[in-house]
Amino acid sequence: MGVAKKVKDMRDDRKNVVDMDGGRVDDDHLLSMYIDNELDAEQTIALVSRLKSEPALRTRLTQLEENDGLVRRVYAQSTVSVPNNVAALIRSDNVTLFRPVRQWRRWTTAAVAASCAAVVAMVLNTSQTAVFNPMNIDAQMAHALESSPSRAAGWEILDEERTFRSVLTFPAADGKWCREFLLSHREANWRGVACRDGGNWVNQVVGSEVFLNQETQYRPAGANDSQNVARFIDETATDVALGPQQEAALIQSGW
Amino acid sequence: MTTLTSQQRQDLIDELPRLKRYCLSLTSDPADADDLLQITVERLLEKGMPADAHVAKWAHRVCKNLWIDEIRSRDVRNRYALSEGVIDGAGTTSANTEESVQLDRVSAAMEHLPAEQRAALVQVAVEGRSYAEAAAFLEVPIGTIMSRVARARKALAANLEWNEEREA
Repeated sequence: MGVAKKVKDMRDDRKNVVDMDGGRVDDDHLLSMYIDNELDAEQTIALVSRLKSEPALRTRLTQLEENDGLVRRVYAQSTVSVPNNVAALIRSDNVTLFRPVRQWRRWTTAAVAASCAAVVAMVLNTSQTAVFNPMNIDAQMAHALESSPSRAAGWEILDEERTFRSVLTFPAADGKWCREFLLSHREANWRGVACRDGGNWVNQVVGSEVFLNQETQYRPAGANDSQNVARFIDETATDVALGPQQEAALIQSGW
Repeated sequence: MTTLTSQQRQDLIDELPRLKRYCLSLTSDPADADDLLQITVERLLEKGMPADAHVAKWAHRVCKNLWIDEIRSRDVRNRYALSEGVIDGAGTTSANTEESVQLDRVSAAMEHLPAEQRAALVQVAVEGRSYAEAAAFLEVPIGTIMSRVARARKALAANLEWNEEREA
């Protein structure tokens, strides 16, 4: 049903509305309707007449109108920052959601905050990845996931023009160990999460990286974009990320 | 139900600023509003919508339902956090200029409003919808919108007055 039809069908019970005490609407209600241009002609004339003779009512009207203006400014500020990646997500015909994100950000550890980066919450269609599929984990990348310590800078060189960096290690809800990583291949960059399952590393999600500058190393993105990575991890993590010593001990012990 | 058509995608992009404001009116927290917006869009892309659906209306409904789901699960998490003695220490950004202080004060006052009043006020005072249009969007009777908007303005004014007196 369209909005216009719904509006037409919507029950107009304005005349029957009473205030909390069961009486007719009070002056604030009248002023509110006046501000919204919802009074009928007769009510408007009556109220305007009162406004001329009642300074307190005029002051109240001014106050309510000024508050409305402030509310509009608050909300105008907020909508300046519609995340760019949301519109990009809608525009992208050739991407599909790998896994819908249902969890809300609730990880607030410094480790996760430091690991946040700009990731578009999508994966490439297989048709786009005929040449190089970032979802594939070959022996060399598996070895890197198995043995490389997490770090904030620097890259490990893999074959096939790939570079790799482990970013974070954390336990998943099902007891598996997972690692967040960065992967680049030629001009393309990805961020992903792989989990260790039965001795094998399996990619859980890979997203194309937006602001990854190879020459100047990793460049953090804006807060809005960075939240996407936190959400990916949020889905699988049950605890805080490991510190360097804990991670080193885990690698040393063979996971 | 199919994936979104090109027109629906464009309509959804055009709707994003209003949808973001709606998210903020529901959550009253900018970070939560961003999350809600993103999750709403992801849900719409995943599930699609009927070919004849009104995109804005459909998106608002999905958004509202997702927020209700989140509120329910958040309630469970909060109870768990309280039982564990966990306190969320989210801070607020300090503002130095008088204008930003004033807007922060309004933002805080909005946060204190019941969510349904906040949503109604935003639909009417910010989006410029008539009571009938807002009622259709929020799926409540027109009189309810009228009442919620008036109560929201009244509570907002009282809250701002109280804060000004306290800080004077």
